[in-house]
Amino acid sequence: MTPRLLIALLLLLPADGRAADDRATTPGQIPAKQAEFFEREVRPLFVKHCFECHSAKSKPLQGGLRLDTRDDTRKGGESGPVIVPGKPGESLLIDAVRHDGIKMPPNRKLTPREILILERWVSLGAPDPRTGGPSLSAVAPDSPQARAWWAFRPFQASVPRPTDDTWSRNRIDRFVLNLLRKKRLAPSPVADRRTLIRRLSFDLVGLGPTPEEVDAFVADTAPGAYGRLVEQLLASPAYGEHWGRFWLDKARYADALPGFEGSTANPWRYRDWVIRTLNEDAGYDDFVSRQLATDLIKDTGPDDLAALGFFGLSPSYWKELKLDISLVRETVAKELEERVDVFGRTFLGLTLSCSRCHDHKFDPISNRDYYAIGGVLMSSRPVDRPLAGDDVWLPIREAREQVRNLTVSLAKMKEQLPKTPANKKRFKQIEAKIAAIRKSTEFASNTVMVRAVEEASIHVVPDGPARNRIEFRHGKPRDLHIHIRGNPMRKGPLVPRRFLEVLTAGKLKPFQQGSGRLELARAMFTDGHPLVARVIVNRIWEQHFGQGLVRTPSNFGTQGQKPSHPGLLDDLAARFVTHHWSLKWLHREITASATYRQSSRNRPDGQASDPDNRLLWRFTPRRLAIEPWRDAMLQVTGSLDQRIGGAAGNLGDDNYSRRTLYGKIDRKTLSVILKMHDFPDPGAHSARRKPTTTPVQQLFAMNSPFLFKQADRLATVIGIGNGKPLPSHIHDAYRILFQRQPTDDELALGERFLSGTPAADKTQRAARWSQYLHALLASNEFLFVD
Amino acid sequence: MILDAPQATTHRLDPLSRRAMIGRLGGGLGATGVASALSADQSLSHYGGKARRVIQLFMNGGPYQGDLFDPKPALKKFEGQRPPGATLRTERITAGLLPSIRKFAPRGNSGVVVSDLLPEISRVIDDICVLKGCHSDNPNHNPAMFLMNCGALTSAVPSVGSWVSYGLGSENRNLPSYVVLATGYPVEAPLTWTSAFLPNHHQGTHINHSNLAPEKIIPFLRNARYDRNVQRRQLDLLGQLNRKHLENRGGGDRLASRIQSMETAFRMQFEATDAFNLEQESKQTRDAYGTGKFANGCLLARRVCERGVRYVQLYYDGGQPWDTHNNHNQRMVTLTRNVDRPIASLIADLKQRGLLEDTLVVWGGEFGRTPVSENGNGRDHNHHGFSMWMAGGGVRGGMTYGETDDFGFKAVTDKVHVHDVHATMLHLLGIDHTQLTYRYAGRDFRLTDVYGRVVSEILV
Repeated sequence: MTPRLLIALLLLLPADGRAADDRATTPGQIPAKQAEFFEREVRPLFVKHCFECHSAKSKPLQGGLRLDTRDDTRKGGESGPVIVPGKPGESLLIDAVRHDGIKMPPNRKLTPREILILERWVSLGAPDPRTGGPSLSAVAPDSPQARAWWAFRPFQASVPRPTDDTWSRNRIDRFVLNLLRKKRLAPSPVADRRTLIRRLSFDLVGLGPTPEEVDAFVADTAPGAYGRLVEQLLASPAYGEHWGRFWLDKARYADALPGFEGSTANPWRYRDWVIRTLNEDAGYDDFVSRQLATDLIKDTGPDDLAALGFFGLSPSYWKELKLDISLVRETVAKELEERVDVFGRTFLGLTLSCSRCHDHKFDPISNRDYYAIGGVLMSSRPVDRPLAGDDVWLPIREAREQVRNLTVSLAKMKEQLPKTPANKKRFKQIEAKIAAIRKSTEFASNTVMVRAVEEASIHVVPDGPARNRIEFRHGKPRDLHIHIRGNPMRKGPLVPRRFLEVLTAGKLKPFQQGSGRLELARAMFTDGHPLVARVIVNRIWEQHFGQGLVRTPSNFGTQGQKPSHPGLLDDLAARFVTHHWSLKWLHREITASATYRQSSRNRPDGQASDPDNRLLWRFTPRRLAIEPWRDAMLQVTGSLDQRIGGAAGNLGDDNYSRRTLYGKIDRKTLSVILKMHDFPDPGAHSARRKPTTTPVQQLFAMNSPFLFKQADRLATVIGIGNGKPLPSHIHDAYRILFQRQPTDDELALGERFLSGTPAADKTQRAARWSQYLHALLASNEFLFVD
Repeated sequence: MILDAPQATTHRLDPLSRRAMIGRLGGGLGATGVASALSADQSLSHYGGKARRVIQLFMNGGPYQGDLFDPKPALKKFEGQRPPGATLRTERITAGLLPSIRKFAPRGNSGVVVSDLLPEISRVIDDICVLKGCHSDNPNHNPAMFLMNCGALTSAVPSVGSWVSYGLGSENRNLPSYVVLATGYPVEAPLTWTSAFLPNHHQGTHINHSNLAPEKIIPFLRNARYDRNVQRRQLDLLGQLNRKHLENRGGGDRLASRIQSMETAFRMQFEATDAFNLEQESKQTRDAYGTGKFANGCLLARRVCERGVRYVQLYYDGGQPWDTHNNHNQRMVTLTRNVDRPIASLIADLKQRGLLEDTLVVWGGEFGRTPVSENGNGRDHNHHGFSMWMAGGGVRGGMTYGETDDFGFKAVTDKVHVHDVHATMLHLLGIDHTQLTYRYAGRDFRLTDVYGRVVSEILV
């Protein structure tokens, strides 16, 4: 071993020289450093090299030895104990990995470094922080251990009661204060009223307050003013726009869909459905169930079909039907994988698609679970359909089906038949028939088309020796065979369509009604409700605070991070369910807390002990995403077009003055402005936006015609050149942009910048003003919310 | 170029002042309690690096080693068969062995064997060290791209370029220290050049050089309204306002970072216009590099390196063009024709300008391809064994290191894992890969995680 490698190892190993004292420790009493050493170094070795034969899942269990729990590891196997704590030389485990006598793993020796880690571990007394059962990936999904994972189990929370608590306003605060005190931190003072209204406004509707709104709120000292403001914002239609955009990130919404189907539908109707339904505060259970299965729900009519865009707008890929069937099936399987992924991560915070080829490596999700959900989605075909009932839809569907079949057979005939005059005539006849159907009223119906899913299963079948066909079987749902190792050509056992085993209470319940989409939704909001509620509550929390209580919002499995405040998350989620899954209730509860109302000012003590603000000792200042930033610029210049919904527009057009969420999102070529400002890839679920700061973004702020235009408009709004004195104009600018007075320094800076041009030179004065206002628009104060 | 504003003068740091380096390392080492172990001598002993910058030529999609540097006559003998050793698992279903149709010969004074697909690179082979025994961990593009770019199979950690930028800083404050030239997004981009938890400005700045008008390369690069003096005056005002704002809030990384970023953007307008203006090159040089997106990329790589950019990553193109699952032979001809001459000219040009000795050039994909066929005329991904090469920056030229098995499927002798490639790159830059750490989420992260071996056999 080279000295350098040894040094690297020593860095990793706990070297506090207390090994002897630690031998007798029981779980829970292990020094944190040793526990970390076990988790970082030892456990991964066990998982990688030993669990295949020595864990609860091993069939058969080799040598009667299990290494997946602390107790079993200590107990040993048929050959007796394998560890003598503190004595690597006497431990069978060490002999085995050194291939000294017995050889383990049998066909592959561990690296010297790995062996060294195990030796070091044993010599430390084999500190083992594992409590309870084996790791979740090693247990059956329906076992009590799997179900006891924090994200799956029933809500558990007792509200702390901090002593001498004059700070808390609601239950959220008691959890926060409790933890802050444990780390000897105090919360920050409440922010001033101007800050609060700006924060609330950007948070709830994605727009800033007007100066008049700020004045009114600052002046309103009557009790309940804050609550009234929250209600007013929640009632604004802009609420649905702002929070709708948040949802569309999860749903990987796009306006333009490169793909096989050649859709002519209007994707934006799904976007508008989201906005409308959020504004109605339908309840998250209802909001989700309708996106999965509104066509199967009795009391929602055909006018709700746009909800199905969640799956209807799934990415699809070109399928060359002349290729080997395995390739076509693989493409379909890839599409399915994405659908399972967006379902799992969006609603359940689980990486289900990891189970396509094998049981999940880390979470109690089986290969069967993947195909159980997959069957539901393979029985739900994405399709363009009219925003109307079956009476309108079925004849259109029939006509389209005919055209599709005729087109395919025409292509085949042209390929196979010689071009004799008789054959040419036949081709012509078929072409004419296609044209006739296309012209028929049903086919060319003017009905509004939406992108939805329908009850039809998807099958790739051979069509003669050299071709394949994709068949959609209406009203015939299908269960899927497991694809062995993910290979769609290798059939494993058939798996009935059903919900995830680990989340199902009692016996598995195969779905009976059609594809099972509605039953799936029902299962999520009954058996699966603690997880589903935790996931959405955490997402909403994240939007308000910049970071979730769980910082991996789309991974609540064992590879995700655990919640910083588990009790708080559970308490809030439980109450959210009791309050009929009302998102607006959740916003009220969160914004009412003292935690939310804290000042965002940095504090050295907090910065030193908790720089990431996990403990919430202040409100984390937030940089506006591109949508509210651009919208706010349009808003302050009085040019924001506040109409709601409709077809998408072009963000590259500097005159486009609608809210940014209406800019066209193209999966293939994303708008430059969106791309440079951290907009997520619209082809896949986005767990969260990842803010970056790049010079290219600043070039947009400095040089884009959009900013020039806003600066000019702002000058007009302020009335530059109307004879008012210069400081008065500066005051107006600060009032409109920041809803405050400039400080003396700021006033002086502004005056210095603006003065020095001849009073008569109107052009030059206008130019100076434009530069000045441009700088204010590009400033950090305009981009960051305290 | 020297700009007039004082903030904008071209600024060259010392190769790496010890204080700066220790400052950077301090957080991590202090936290593990061994800061005292890093005596002055020890820390400085790591900094004899020959390379000051890196140009990474990324053949995204995965080039087939057996057509370029790693001939395997045994393939002919077992053509169409799957003898033992030819049945390794890769991403897709494969068939029997498919011999390469290329012709190989020893080249240069060193006699390193190169195929007829690379006649121009053959001419500079004496400057190149081919690593024939490379291997990676995963046959899928996405994790393999992450591993090659970030040293981990997922995206949550910083890219190599970001680590280098973090470790060595920038030699030119007017340009980003880490530039990514790509005429489209490769798989998993832009996460492949993420700075993850490292400070934001170490993230790769992506430049799409498919259109060479500077304002097309970098959107909004040109200010159509103000000249430089007006803009400078405006930015001074903005900087003052932003700094007051920052002070009033007791500081904040992201606020400070944007202030700095604004200044970089200002300088970038002029420096970038200049750096990306290939019209300034002589006809002779342009002819030598040839035409096409990749050729322009190579020339741009040299131009930005000359101007002190620390790490340049040049992708062949967007997507995964080297991913020859079908029509492999045909596509290899086009692919290699597009890179052969530009790369050879880049090496020769760097050498002629005296830049090759302190510029490390790294060539490779995220993995290689199989010696067995897929679909009859294609080749599947192969992470078990593939070739990469390095040149300049303290690497011994005219040698090969490592071998694959008889079929070129799996690395067998002198294997070089991706982590080893990273460790070696850092070493050449004067960084000990075990000591460049960053404390995040409760642990010390490093590019090579707990792995990595410096391949000292290839050092000068």
